[in-house]
Parts: sequence; C-alpha cells; structure tokens
Amino acid sequence: METVTLTIDGTQITVPKGRTVLQAAIEAGISVPYYCYHPGISIDGSCRVCIVKIEKMGKLQTSCSTVCTDGMVVHTREADVVEARAGVFEFLLLNHPLDCPVCDKGGECPLQDFSYTFGPAESRMDFPRRVFDGEGVKADVDFGPTLMLNRNRCILCTRCVRFMKEVDGDAQIGIVDRGAGSEIATFEERGVHSLISGNLMDVCPVGAILTKDYRFKTRPWDNPGVVDTICTLCSKGCNTSAWLKAKPEWARGSQLIRMTPRFNADVNNYWMCDIGRFTYHWAEGDTRLRKPMLRPSTSPGQAPLEPAAWRDVEPKLRDRIQDAGSQDPASVRFLVSAHASTEELYVLKQLVEGLLGNDGARAVTVTWTRSDKRQPEGTKFKVPGTDAPNVNGAKDLGFEVGPGNEGMPDLTRLRTDVEAGRVKAVYVLDPGPDGSIGDVSWLVAARRSGTLPLLVVQGVLMTELAAAADIVLPGTAWVEKDGIFTNDQGRVQASSRAIAPPGEAREDWQILVSVARSLGLTMPYETSNDVRRALATSKPGTGYAEADHLLFTRPVPARNWLQASNPSERWKWDFLFQDLPPVKGHSVQMEGVPAQETSIPLKPVG
Amino acid sequence: MSFHPKMEYAPARFHKSARTLPDPGGDFTYTAENQAKFDANVQRYPPDQRKSAILYALYLAQRQQGFLTRAAMAHVAGQIRCTTADVEDVVSYYTMFYTKPVGTYVLNVCRTLSCALLGAERVTEAISEKLGIKVGETDASGMFTLIEVECLGACDRAPVVMVNDDWEERLAPEQVGEFIDHVRAKGRAAFTGCHLHKEK
Repeated sequence: METVTLTIDGTQITVPKGRTVLQAAIEAGISVPYYCYHPGISIDGSCRVCIVKIEKMGKLQTSCSTVCTDGMVVHTREADVVEARAGVFEFLLLNHPLDCPVCDKGGECPLQDFSYTFGPAESRMDFPRRVFDGEGVKADVDFGPTLMLNRNRCILCTRCVRFMKEVDGDAQIGIVDRGAGSEIATFEERGVHSLISGNLMDVCPVGAILTKDYRFKTRPWDNPGVVDTICTLCSKGCNTSAWLKAKPEWARGSQLIRMTPRFNADVNNYWMCDIGRFTYHWAEGDTRLRKPMLRPSTSPGQAPLEPAAWRDVEPKLRDRIQDAGSQDPASVRFLVSAHASTEELYVLKQLVEGLLGNDGARAVTVTWTRSDKRQPEGTKFKVPGTDAPNVNGAKDLGFEVGPGNEGMPDLTRLRTDVEAGRVKAVYVLDPGPDGSIGDVSWLVAARRSGTLPLLVVQGVLMTELAAAADIVLPGTAWVEKDGIFTNDQGRVQASSRAIAPPGEAREDWQILVSVARSLGLTMPYETSNDVRRALATSKPGTGYAEADHLLFTRPVPARNWLQASNPSERWKWDFLFQDLPPVKGHSVQMEGVPAQETSIPLKPVG
Repeated sequence: MSFHPKMEYAPARFHKSARTLPDPGGDFTYTAENQAKFDANVQRYPPDQRKSAILYALYLAQRQQGFLTRAAMAHVAGQIRCTTADVEDVVSYYTMFYTKPVGTYVLNVCRTLSCALLGAERVTEAISEKLGIKVGETDASGMFTLIEVECLGACDRAPVVMVNDDWEERLAPEQVGEFIDHVRAKGRAAFTGCHLHKEK
C-alpha cells in the first residue's frame, strides 16, 4: 500500500495515499471539527469548519477535501486558524436556535460540542433568528412516516441530501430556495419514504432530523449503558448497538431505548434499516410471556391457559411428550423458527437425535417468512427478503431448509401429516416477533379441532398460536441472550444479552436442555458457552470452530464503549463525554496568544 | 404510503410544514414541438449525464405555460429521469424560473453592489410606486412583474434592470415612470437594449 507522510501540528503521520487531511487528523486523534463530512457518504466541503492552515498554500483549506501529500505541513491550532474557525462557528450559530435543553440531540450534538470547544465565547448577533415553519413546538414538522424535521436547527450540511442520493438511491431530499432562505425539503412536503430513513437521524449533525420513535423519549446522559449486538430481523445481520435506559423507574419497565447501527464494512457499513431500528418494542411489550402456562384440561378449547411454576410444568411436559411419542416417537414433531440461535438449534438437534436416532432432524421443520421490501434500484443498502437471521445456521446444522435464504420454507409435509392426524404432538420454538413463523392458522385450527392432541409453544409473545397451545414456555428475545447467528453471507455473528429476560422467562437453550434432560437425555451444558464449545468441537475447521471465542458484550458505560467501538459514530461520541472546560470558548489555547480573561463581568443592578 | 408493515403513518398527528409550495397545476406534458426540442437537446450530453439538460428542460416547460407548476416539475423529472426533489431544488434556486404566473414583462432590478450604490433601491421603489406593487408581485393589468435579483453583470452601466431577456442600462430612478409608460405604449420596441449590441 502506498503511503504518504505529513505533519499535523508537529506530529508526523503516515497514512495510505488518497486520504484527506481530515481523515488523517481523525486517525491521529487530532480534533478537527466537521459537519458535512461523513465517512459513509461523499465529500462536500460545505460547512467550512474543518479549515486548517497548510504551509505553502495561500489560504486556509478545508481539510475534508484536501488530499494528503508527502511532506505536507498542517496546522490546526495556530491563531489565524483558531480565529477563522471561530468565525465559521459564529455564522453557523447565527440562525441556530439555542434550544439545546429541549432538543433531542442535546448531549450528543456535534454542533453543541464543537461550538463549545472551537466556537467564539459569545455571538455578536443582535437581530432576530430566521424562522421556518414556526417557533417552539411548531418548528417540528412531519417529515415522513419515521421522521420529524426542524428546519430552524438545520445548518445545511447536506448530509441528508447526499445520504438519500448516494446510499438510499432515491434523492427525495433537496435544498429549496437559495442563500439565507435555503431549507431542507421534500417535493410537496411529502416527507421521506424510505426503508432506511432512520439513518438520517444518525447522519444529521444537529437536531434537525429526528426519528418519531426516539423524540421526546430520553436524554443521552440518562442512558449510558450500551451493548454491542446484532439485529436479527432479517438474514443480513446488521451490527447494532442497543441503548439501555439507566433508570428503570423512569423507563416504566421498558429498558431498550433505541437501536443504532454499528460500523461493519463487510455487513452493513454505517447503516441499518428502519425495520431493525424501530421494531424492538415487541421484546418488552405487553404481550410478552413472563410465566409458563398450562391448560388444565386436555380437551381443546375448554379451560383457559393458567400460569404455572416451572417445576409443575416440566413433569407435565415430559409426561405428555412421552405419552404422545409412546407409539411412534416420530409422531412428535418440531416447528422451529429461523429466529432461533445456533446454540438452540444445536441443542434441539441433539434432543431429536437422542429421541429418534440419526435422522432425527427429519422431525424438525424450520420456518421463516419473506417479505417484499420496496427499495430504489440504485440503493447501496439492500435489505434482504428473508425475515429471519439464522436460516444458514439451521442449514449448517443439517436441518432441511429447502431453498434457504433464497426462498420460502416448505411446511407442506408437516401440515399434511398434522391434518391427517399422523402427528401426536407439535413442539414450536418461536423466539422471534409475532408472525415471524409465518401463517400457522392451520396449526391453530388443527389443535382447536382436536386433530392435533398436543401443542407446546416455546416463545416470547402471546401469539395466536401460543393462545391455542396446551403448554406455553416463556423464552427469550434476541436482546436477552447470548446467541450466534449465521447471516446470508455465511458470517457467524453474535447477539449479546443486553437486558434480563422478564419474569420467569428462561433462555431458550436452557429450556431445551431441561426438556431433554427430563426425557432422559444427557445434556452436559451449564452455560450457553458450553453449547458453543461443543458446537465448535463438533465442527472443526468451519466458522463455528471460533464460536466459543466470539465476543459477547455486557452493558458498558457509553464512555468506554465509545472509546472502544463504533468508529462510524466516533465523530459524535469523541466529544460526548469529553471533560470540557467550565467556561465556554477557551478550551483551545491559541499558540502565541495570551489566554483571555475568563471572568464573567457582572452587570450592576438598576 | 408507509413501507413498513407495522409502522402506521398518521401525518395528521403532526404539525405540517409552513413552506409555500409551488402551484400544483393541471396535467402537464410537453407539446410535440417542445418534446422534439428536448429530445434533440438531451442528445448533447452523455447518457449518464442526462441531468445536464435540466435547465433547458425547465425553460421549455416555462415557455410553454408561462411558469412552472408542480405538475410541470414532475413531468421534467420524468424526462430527465431524476427525482422531483432534484427538480424543485433547481427551480427554487434560480430566479429566472417562476413558480407563479408572471406579467408580460418581468422587471429584474439588480440590487448588487454597483447598482445599489447608484440607487437600485430607489429604482425598485419608483417601480413599486408607479405600478402599485411590491417586490415579487404582478400589477393589476398583468403586464408587469417586479423582482429583485443579484448581479446581472453590467456593473459599468449601473443601475441596470433586466426586462425579460433584455438589459435596460443606466435606468435612473427618475426615468422609471417614463420607461414604464413607453413599454406600455410601444411594447418591446421601447427597450433600449444592451449597449454592447448597439455599438456593434
């Protein structure tokens, strides 16, 4: 790789050829502010705050658009740079409302943080601020199904315009009018209609574009716990971060506050789709299963499900499964969602092989759904059709998955057998959101009519299927357990336990292990890592061989997390928990300029 | 119009933008003649640079119906194969694209430095007074529209007013009334035009 060596603020830095001065400075940890630059979209050079002095170049240069050359000498802390930069900040804040205390970006806002660090101590502005749409609450206007727009806060960096044009592929946002009247707008004020619109809140360096989901919900300093995990709502497996509310008493039971994408160049780059970003409420929703449930009567539709203790449920479950399989063990069948992690599938495989011998996997039907995602043709972030994360994991373990991620699961064999009365029990493993195992109304009907004598549902939500079951076992959603999933590229990735399962819910692999043990099988697993270790040993030389070394993170303080991960957001986060000087405007000491007076002049009263 | 199966879109629950939208307008398509002109013009650009023809495409639309409606923008977007937001971006940027009906004569008064120093503001005031309209408005007869613009590139002959496509140079505020009367009476023949053209 060709490299160039340049000097920034007296430090020699060697970077690959083609990097810009700003990128070199960021990599070297030299703070240069920037708004219009974002590593995931093209360079624009419109915000002007990244200006630096480069020797032998006449004027100050925007570092984001200047490519490093050998022997370049760059200054970011000299008096003229500091002064010019403060001037740019003064202009950026001319019309920006000072509503940081009520703005949802406050606390993680680069405009706020950079202005404190690099901006002038005070503004000389004494005329009214430019106002679009209205002031106060009226400034927030509808900007499509997921977003709100506040034009007063916009600094016209055009990141959103470039994001829509380059990443989404459908340039729905434009800058309307010119000069001081410029505003971010969509044609006919239709708003942004895109499957990846939520990323606009991430790319927006101010509080101009906010998601309706996160708006008015919390403040960044109230949710300092962050967990690195993955999204499990489709086969892409985007790397994400789950943000947790620190104070459960404020959260009223709900702890997940938002999901944000985490940079992974091979999977999702800097982005994630709106389905993954906004579909997390189900894990802590009202229909969540918290206790095991039993139907006292064996005849269908007679008595309602009643909550029971695990110790009462387990023997009953064992008796009824043994009963169902007493004549033919193969008449006990399993319907498994591809939302199940590889650990769960591995334990299940051992369970069925223990019961039925080597072709036990034939008793298992893997299911998932597909949906049509309408996206522009030129999009750089394609959301796959398969709505389950682990079809490839099931395939690798030897389960029948038909066309895999390319098509729909084939449930006809199970369905014909159930409807013909050849199946005595169906055990459903459904750790995904409602509807993620597809249309199972035939199974509900079979149980209601009595064709199917026993239906066991191990799931997360009180779905229609769970409501028809004889025994309901509360499992865990993806944020509540450590699990590995194999995405459509065949990449093994980990989701981490961010929050505790609610009530008496247990991790799904534990439930399967205890069911297997109660049926007399040996399951030498105490932790989920034991399962991964066994999996790694059973599949040497594959991606799973590394399974027990995968990193599962626990909630970490955002400060540490920011330092250790997510380079895509570091531009924002580097400044979030920085120890700022107490008086505004004096954190950058100019070279050769005496420190300014920092005392605040007192005005005499009267 | 939500793409997300579980995310309902209820725009009525939120404030709407206060931005003034261009006129929606009725159905708009190029006349056969304009379509032919556009097709010929777009050939001048490489196929992947089709957007370069956008200004020409918009002028065609503007000449066809006098101003640009949303329907016209959508039609141009279809012709150029870009999004409607891209088209509105361009339309709203340039002062010579009109999003509401304008008079027969559009008076573009330059307000940049040289003209401002030589009394452009008073020229605007005089026009305003004479026609009884404010900047951006069209007079009752539908003949004149007054617009303020930035530098027209005729600083040596300031103050300058551009009437449709012609310059009217050294138009002192006190001459404005007379000039407008002339235009009323004689139409285009009243324009003195650009000195560069005259001296040729």
